[in-house]
Amino acid sequence: MTFDFGQVALVLVFAIVPILGIILGLNSPGLRSRGPILIGIVAGILPILAIYIPKNFVSGNGGMSPRLDAWLIILAGFALLLGVVNVLQNNFRKVARRESGWFFSIVLLTGLFVTGGFGIYGAVSRTGIGFNPDGSSTPFKYMTDWFFQPLQSTIFALLAFFMASAAFRAFRARNVEATILLIAAGLVMIGRVPILEFLAVPFPFLHAAAASGSQALGRLTEWIMDVPNGAAQSGIIIGAALGAASMAIRVILGIERGYLGLGKGE
Amino acid sequence: MRGFLERLLRLDRRWIFLFVLLSVTVPIIVPLGLPVTTTESTRKAFQFIEAMKPGDTVLISFDYGPSSAPENDPMAEAVMRQCAIKKLRFIVIALYPLGALNLANNAVAKITSEYPGLKYGVDYVNLGYKDGASAVMRRMGDDIAGAFPTDQAGTPLAQIPLMKGIPSLRQVQLVFTVATGIIGEWWITQVHPQAGTPIIIGPTAVSAPKYYAFLNSGQLEGMLGGMKGAAEYEKLMRAAHPEMDRFYGSTRDFTATKGMDGQTVMHTVVLFFILLGNIAFVLSRRGATR
Amino acid sequence: MKSAGCMTLIGLFLAANVFAAPIDAPATLPPDLPLPQNLIAKDKPGDSGGAVVLTWTDPASLPAGTEIEVLRAEPPAYEWQPVAKVAAGTGTYTDTSAKDGTAYRYGVRTSLAAADSTGAVSVAASTGAPVVSEPVSSHDNWFKVERTNSFVASILFVIIILGSIQMARSGKEIFIRRIPGLNAIDEAIGRATEVGKKVMYIPGIQSMDDIQTVASVAILGHVARSTARYGTDLEVPNKDPLTFASAREVVRAAYLAEGRPDLFREEMVNYVTYDQFAFTAAVSAKMTREKPAAIFLVGYFFAESLILAETGQSTGAIQIAGQADPTQLPFFVATCDYTLIGEELYAASAYLSREPVLLGSIRGQDIAKGILILIAILGIVLASVHVVDLSPLFRTR
Repeated sequence: MTFDFGQVALVLVFAIVPILGIILGLNSPGLRSRGPILIGIVAGILPILAIYIPKNFVSGNGGMSPRLDAWLIILAGFALLLGVVNVLQNNFRKVARRESGWFFSIVLLTGLFVTGGFGIYGAVSRTGIGFNPDGSSTPFKYMTDWFFQPLQSTIFALLAFFMASAAFRAFRARNVEATILLIAAGLVMIGRVPILEFLAVPFPFLHAAAASGSQALGRLTEWIMDVPNGAAQSGIIIGAALGAASMAIRVILGIERGYLGLGKGE
Repeated sequence: MRGFLERLLRLDRRWIFLFVLLSVTVPIIVPLGLPVTTTESTRKAFQFIEAMKPGDTVLISFDYGPSSAPENDPMAEAVMRQCAIKKLRFIVIALYPLGALNLANNAVAKITSEYPGLKYGVDYVNLGYKDGASAVMRRMGDDIAGAFPTDQAGTPLAQIPLMKGIPSLRQVQLVFTVATGIIGEWWITQVHPQAGTPIIIGPTAVSAPKYYAFLNSGQLEGMLGGMKGAAEYEKLMRAAHPEMDRFYGSTRDFTATKGMDGQTVMHTVVLFFILLGNIAFVLSRRGATR
Repeated sequence: MKSAGCMTLIGLFLAANVFAAPIDAPATLPPDLPLPQNLIAKDKPGDSGGAVVLTWTDPASLPAGTEIEVLRAEPPAYEWQPVAKVAAGTGTYTDTSAKDGTAYRYGVRTSLAAADSTGAVSVAASTGAPVVSEPVSSHDNWFKVERTNSFVASILFVIIILGSIQMARSGKEIFIRRIPGLNAIDEAIGRATEVGKKVMYIPGIQSMDDIQTVASVAILGHVARSTARYGTDLEVPNKDPLTFASAREVVRAAYLAEGRPDLFREEMVNYVTYDQFAFTAAVSAKMTREKPAAIFLVGYFFAESLILAETGQSTGAIQIAGQADPTQLPFFVATCDYTLIGEELYAASAYLSREPVLLGSIRGQDIAKGILILIAILGIVLASVHVVDLSPLFRTR
């Protein structure tokens, strides 16, 4: 049996230390906060090291960093179970106490069990969740195609309505900045679609002028997206990246603890 | 007059919703056939793929869900049709967790029914869905089989002729990511520096402004921004390949070009409301100062 | 002359037999092809192993269509096997199929493809044995040389941050500009307390592996402490299960720290669903039914941002949003009362707690940004006057 340093180190930091920390932390509050911080330090430093160190035990196939990535996916799967348990608890409670909206809880629970049941059936019967061998849809795929997809599209389509109402309310020339926003938004909205051709449809003598106007506005729109927008986006992205790096350093060094629920001095 | 202006400024949003609904649905029923002008970012994407040689490989990543299918499906289909015409091989994967696999399977089924000469395993392959998009991409940069040991049907990659000679993304000539959300950006910021593979992105219109920064810095070869980008691509396809008229010449089926009619009318309606709101705002302010 | 020609033929025959590679006899014998020279084989630097880089000097004046054939022999038999063919003039090849620790020998020779009358291509080896390298084995390395620039930049950045933190620890006063969105947090919670309605906090839709979500959960701790202090109702719906687990612990700890564990209820922090738009529909419906007085949309949002913000706006709630990614910011700016833009989100924990150590890191980040701005300006000027292009220094692989 070969000694895999990477595997041993990961098991030590992410399994042994937390278990020991929980057991010892029952008596020692200080250890309760230090344990997660230590794990956070190692989990934060490993991917950074993997970027620069190509050694197999760090970043190669089966190395510490790819293994940690895989563990995160597994962890997320178990956390999903935790989420589903919470959904069941909350909604069963609502139905039992006849709280307001309890009928919708029944609809939610029905959807959860039916869809989950079809998925489990697909796994158990080995037909999967896509097409059957004969080309017909499995029950899960049927639910996806005829319930899930249309519902998702419907909610996404609400964006169009909300965008229109937000534009009506927000694009008012209240001050200089708002006026610049209004003009830029108007130019981009006109430049992205053939509005001039659309308005010129009943007037054939205006078609040529509308077409060249559209092209000119299209070029102006491209310039607005390329230059002012591109510059602003770059600036925000760079600034945010530096902020993220700084926050990451604070988390890795254990200075930032707000996300753990620890305050000053804890 | 003052009261009218006040009512206009506080117009019930449901009136706006009604006009938006009409502006989108009427052009679908009565297509207007409005022209589409192409932009530099889409032309660059099109010309890049047009310049590829027969036998080159394109990886098409379905990184979107059903919610943005009307915007993203036309992009994926247009590029897959272009691959079929140009005899480019394509590898299909799905990285978006909810619904991308279904969309990928539907798109592959559609294109292979249009081009029955395409042979699975030789001209195209469908590797299916894998969780953990960022980790999967990084792995594919060095070893595709490490991320996708088998294709969707369970065949090991070593037994698939197309995958011989393509151990990693370095041997792929282009990655085309059809994306909503962050996954598209990860292809640019993680895979492109690691493997050097050229990237073209097809984001939703909402995300498109962010990618101009990447276009300007040369990290992207081109971009199809939203449904407009897809409509531009359809126009470029028709101009370069007249046989595309059988898909894009008819208004019966939904295409991005057809969808742009509704977007044009909607933009007009929204601009009208913005103008109305500003006129009412300016007049009411003038009235208040008097 | 004749004997030289015969020797050449014999040499060819011997070469074909000694190296037991399956090489077809050529349709016509090629003229003498010179061999490549100066073959060097070494482990590819800065990789995870499995790769050997070969370099050689191509002979001059090779006929068109000449290729360089790369051969490899491995222990114990050391039989030559063909590995690849590269076009003449390339001068380099990377063998990515090497096994770490195996001492290979590499050989290169010139070859020319000849076609017979049927058009079938056969390959002729060059005269003589291939040029052979010293034994070489591949192995993984400790450092990726092509990332030296980003490594140096990262170290410098960390030094600047740590230096600023040290300066803050020494008692130096750190100035941080006013951030209206963060100042408004207490105002929003106060308003919710006055009208007796709840505060709704949505920590984005990404998981805890995203730094924006970590920043959001840290701000949630501050908000939870305020709601505990004032006795205001709080609800935190979650889309991601890991975020849900962290948020619940943070809120519980906040209520405990304020001495109000009696006010904490498990259902304050709940998990809704993993699907983006199902989550949006559920939260929008909750906003419409329960009409919270204050809504916080802090974290990483995607397309659902406008739906949530516009629904919140329609209920009359005071809204504070925050996101580092620029994509959804325009929607927040148009619909919310206050928006934290870009790195303001990450500065929140320092701003709200006023801990000197955290403020020091913000100062360090600003110093780094200042240096980048100066480099950008210098680069633009130098490139514009065609003196030097600094961009290759910043390219990453």
